[in-house]
Amino acid sequence: MTGGRVLVVDDTAFNRRLLVRLLASIGHEAIEAEHGRAALELLRDPGVPPVDVVLLDIVMPEMDGYETLEILKADGALSDLPVIVISGVDELDSVVRCIRMGAADYLPKTVDPEILRARIEASMAGKRLHDLERETLEQQTRMLATIDRQRSELSRFLSPQVAALVSSEDGEAMLAGHRREITAMFCDLRNFTSFSEVAEPEEVLGFLRAYHGVMGPLIVEYEGTLEHFAGDGFMTFFNDPILQPDHAERAVRLGVAMREHFRELSADWRQRGYVLEIGIGIATGYATLGRIGFEGRYDYGAVGHGIILAARLSGEAKAGEILIDARTHLAAGSAIDDASAGDRQLKGFSRPVPVHAVAGVRSTEVV
Amino acid sequence: MDPDPIDQAAIDHLLEITGGDLEFLDELVDTYLSDAVVQLDGMRRAAADGDAAAMVRPAHSLKSSSENVGATALADGCRTLEADAKAGAVPDAVARVAGCDDAFTAASSALLAQRIGR
Repeated sequence: MTGGRVLVVDDTAFNRRLLVRLLASIGHEAIEAEHGRAALELLRDPGVPPVDVVLLDIVMPEMDGYETLEILKADGALSDLPVIVISGVDELDSVVRCIRMGAADYLPKTVDPEILRARIEASMAGKRLHDLERETLEQQTRMLATIDRQRSELSRFLSPQVAALVSSEDGEAMLAGHRREITAMFCDLRNFTSFSEVAEPEEVLGFLRAYHGVMGPLIVEYEGTLEHFAGDGFMTFFNDPILQPDHAERAVRLGVAMREHFRELSADWRQRGYVLEIGIGIATGYATLGRIGFEGRYDYGAVGHGIILAARLSGEAKAGEILIDARTHLAAGSAIDDASAGDRQLKGFSRPVPVHAVAGVRSTEVV
Repeated sequence: MDPDPIDQAAIDHLLEITGGDLEFLDELVDTYLSDAVVQLDGMRRAAADGDAAAMVRPAHSLKSSSENVGATALADGCRTLEADAKAGAVPDAVARVAGCDDAFTAASSALLAQRIGR
């Protein structure tokens, strides 16, 4: 073990001189104080390099060992500093009292260099371990704060669920890719292309801001994972990364809520002469989810048959219509009011697909 | 009074733990002697004032350093004074401190004689 710095506190010059000499002979540097008050001044002086161990006599003028020990242990900056009490063999009660007050060890007054060496080194090792623990803890705290900051920063760019996933324990495995049944919802606007051609760009942007301002909070409220939005279109899915046993029903409830809120928004714009309508498609199916994209720009995305179907249904939906596939219809069950809207021939699907149109939900509470 | 005021074993021990450094031993003994003068002075004052509390610290200090240099008789005298003082009353304080004075004179002569004898 490399040498440490030891503070020798003793009112007797003889004892100090002997201890300093012995400490030097076993490789430790020593500084001296003739009583507790002087010791505290040295320990608190920012100009004095910190010490590793204090050797403390008990009977001293000005401030005795007990009082010094009490102050040291109550001082947050010094309480971890090991204190070895120097005591005569006939003073064992004092030793007990000091150990109860937090002294690390004691040293008999008739000093043996080997005992001195052993006690100093044990105390220094204890302190080093303690310092290391504290350092590790501080590092961890800093790291956690950084992760927290990153997460809150990320959550401004990503879906809250995806932001949480990125910093969760199984995040890496989830991002690498997994299969899961999800319900996907696409929604976009009828007539948006012609609206954006006719309206002033400022009006288009103003409308989009209002539209996103209404739809965004709904997606958050129904706990959908927003995969992307582009212009007038949103793609949201349920049951991933957070499991939602009622994912089909949730998607339909979100669709209905979006349609209702959009009605108020569009009424406002209708007065300005623009007719805008929403169309929603919802489908349930297995998808592969995870990190999709390329180095520098990844998204948390979903790929699967159900997603394509939801996109097609959204394209198929007429103004104000919510079209769902048979699996969503079955899974959402009695929670929704819907009716068959026939079999549709959809692009990319070889056979006609049975479709239901949603009239409403039985209760608008979020489950 | 002990015919041999210094326990040679204590001096040998000091020499041993300081690596046989006689010069340092002399320094240490000098330090002891000057400390002791101050402590004896304090003890004498405490005895004259009948102040038991003021006796504790100097008697305690002189006891431990006297043990270290092998001034056994002086250490014993200081030990009983310290114990009585802690208990609150020191009978015959003045006479007992005077005894310590004598023991110190004998011990210091012996310590210095050792040095001259080398």
